[in-house]
Amino acid sequence: MTAAAPTPSLAPVSRRSPVLVQLGGLYGLWLREVKRAVRDRGQLVGGFSRPILWVLILGIGLNPYFRGEVYGEVTFVVPFTYLQFIFPAVVALNIMYTSVQSAISVIWDREFGFLREVLVSPLSRSTVLLGKVLGGATVAMAHGSLVLVLARFADVPLTWGTVAKALGVMAMLALALTSLGIVIANRIRSFEGFGVFSNAVILPLYFTSSSIFPLDPALTRAQTRVVYPDWLVTLVEYNPLTYAVDTLRGVLIHYNQFDPRLGLLIMAVAGIVLFTIALLDFRRA
Amino acid sequence: MAEGTAPAPPIRVDAISRRFGRTLALDGVSFEVRDREFFALLGPNGAGKTTLLHILCTVLRPDSGQALIRGLDVVRQPLAARRLLGIVFQEASLDDRLTVRENLDLHGLVFGVPGALRRRRIDEMLALVELTAWADRTTRTLSSGMKRRLEIARALIHDSEILLLDEPTAGLDAQSRERIWSYIRRLRGERHITVLVTTHYIEEVEGCDRVCIVDRGRVLALDAPETLKRTHGGQMLRIVPRGDDDRRAILGRFADRLKGEAGDAILLASDDAFVEAFLADCGRRIRSMTVEIPSLETVFLTLTGRALRDQSAGESERTRAFGRRGGEHTR
Ligand SMILES: Nc1ncnc2c1ncn2[C@@H]1O[C@H](COP(=O)(O)OP(=O)(O)OP(=O)(O)O)[C@@H](O)[C@H]1O
Ligand SMILES: [Mg+2]
Repeated sequence: MTAAAPTPSLAPVSRRSPVLVQLGGLYGLWLREVKRAVRDRGQLVGGFSRPILWVLILGIGLNPYFRGEVYGEVTFVVPFTYLQFIFPAVVALNIMYTSVQSAISVIWDREFGFLREVLVSPLSRSTVLLGKVLGGATVAMAHGSLVLVLARFADVPLTWGTVAKALGVMAMLALALTSLGIVIANRIRSFEGFGVFSNAVILPLYFTSSSIFPLDPALTRAQTRVVYPDWLVTLVEYNPLTYAVDTLRGVLIHYNQFDPRLGLLIMAVAGIVLFTIALLDFRRA
Repeated sequence: MAEGTAPAPPIRVDAISRRFGRTLALDGVSFEVRDREFFALLGPNGAGKTTLLHILCTVLRPDSGQALIRGLDVVRQPLAARRLLGIVFQEASLDDRLTVRENLDLHGLVFGVPGALRRRRIDEMLALVELTAWADRTTRTLSSGMKRRLEIARALIHDSEILLLDEPTAGLDAQSRERIWSYIRRLRGERHITVLVTTHYIEEVEGCDRVCIVDRGRVLALDAPETLKRTHGGQMLRIVPRGDDDRRAILGRFADRLKGEAGDAILLASDDAFVEAFLADCGRRIRSMTVEIPSLETVFLTLTGRALRDQSAGESERTRAFGRRGGEHTR
């Protein structure tokens, strides 16, 4: 057997501190998610076309009907147009789609073996999961920001301050939703398509979150239940997304149906709880 | 563990058992791999090779027994053990939407290889497996042989000194297979490295230092290929008798030499003198006769009484098939 001296560059790596290793790995995994998303045509097309359909077509189309006086009698008096009203919700919708889509890729990582490569690395499980969540949330925020570009068409004036605050709320929403997606994906053994997700999770959450119609602010709680059927009001009130959208709406068009801090609290708690569940699942697997 | 002056062996496996439901995948396996050795695990499908490798690389826990990587217990010190291992799994584990270089770079980051060293090693390893010209291609567009080579390169980006390869050549054409072995040979000349490889291609283990033959979770033999051939191989006669009468006659007469039956054929232990005697005696009772010279194939046949079995499909094939068809953009 040849006992040739190892080539110099093959000499042992200078020991990096464990914290640096975890941070470097986190960066690598985050970068991977972002690169994959940028190269994913289908996802990009969805990210562009969804807000255009919702804001420009649906929003502009329904805008006139939103005013009470259309029927000759003022029923609702609201300080904003329909376009302005759904605009924050479309931001949330784009974030929701993209977050869940990114999270679904854990199924592919598992089935196509990439996950193994990471599991035999020196990275801890929490670093691996955090890399996935941060990467997915970053992409989701980027898709949410695409909607902000349409702000001028929706008569939503944006200042830098508003944008900064909105991005903060969007980040919280994206983190919570990506964690939710991962928790769901971990429970799926066989996967046939994303359509199931969008029909079973995303759209129901979206439609019952007071996203596309307001619970009238001028009415009392009791009156609301007269105008709308009981079950719908209950659904809307129990849907956590309602409060997240409401907080974002407060930032973007200064209109809140609930206390805006409630939305922040719900997103923070949901994010932490879901991430923890995902981590426990991952450790057990 | 008793520490002598010599460093702990690269791999030591001590009475490892592992059960999956009713299947006893590993049944008290023990062996030791020596420093800088080229060690092969040979066994048919389902022998437990992958299970053993998964235990060695810390992704699976043994039910009992102990596995040590340079003295590090894979259950109690998995992170330290992983740093020393370079692993090529049986199933591809590349991100096929990243380029070749990006896959290597990600591996370097994940294993904490500092930037400058990482870039230098990536270039060296790409050169070793002759993929330099493909560095900026998307991994998806590589052939399966190239993907295998890329995975080998990847396993060497960090400070791996023990390379675990699970069927690195399975499913490849003869030329790609030979190429992979030549890279491994060259690598062993350039770097202080111990190689453990699993395979069910018998002809591939001829060049190894030692072969460990496993079947049904047990070690049947462990030695240098030449020694195995000498002790277990022996020459064999593969005889197809003319009819049932002839079969009975031959079996009755040479019961002490019977090594096994494979379909129509009867296998008898043999040597040159026996061939002559047999022909003179039973020449008219046989339809055909083949002299099998000692090879690992005959060793395997002798030890297990059967030839290596065939491959079968994996479990979550449905989901994978969906993804492979192009699946959803989520992939
Ligand atoms: N996750 C699992 N769940 C259930 N049974 C398993 C699992 N993994 C392996 N087995 C079983 O354990 C046995 C050994 O499997 P293993 O994959 O280690 O064999 P192998 O030698 O690698 O075979 P191959 O040549 O096909 O790769 C088989 O009978 C297999 O069905
Ligand atoms: Mg195997």
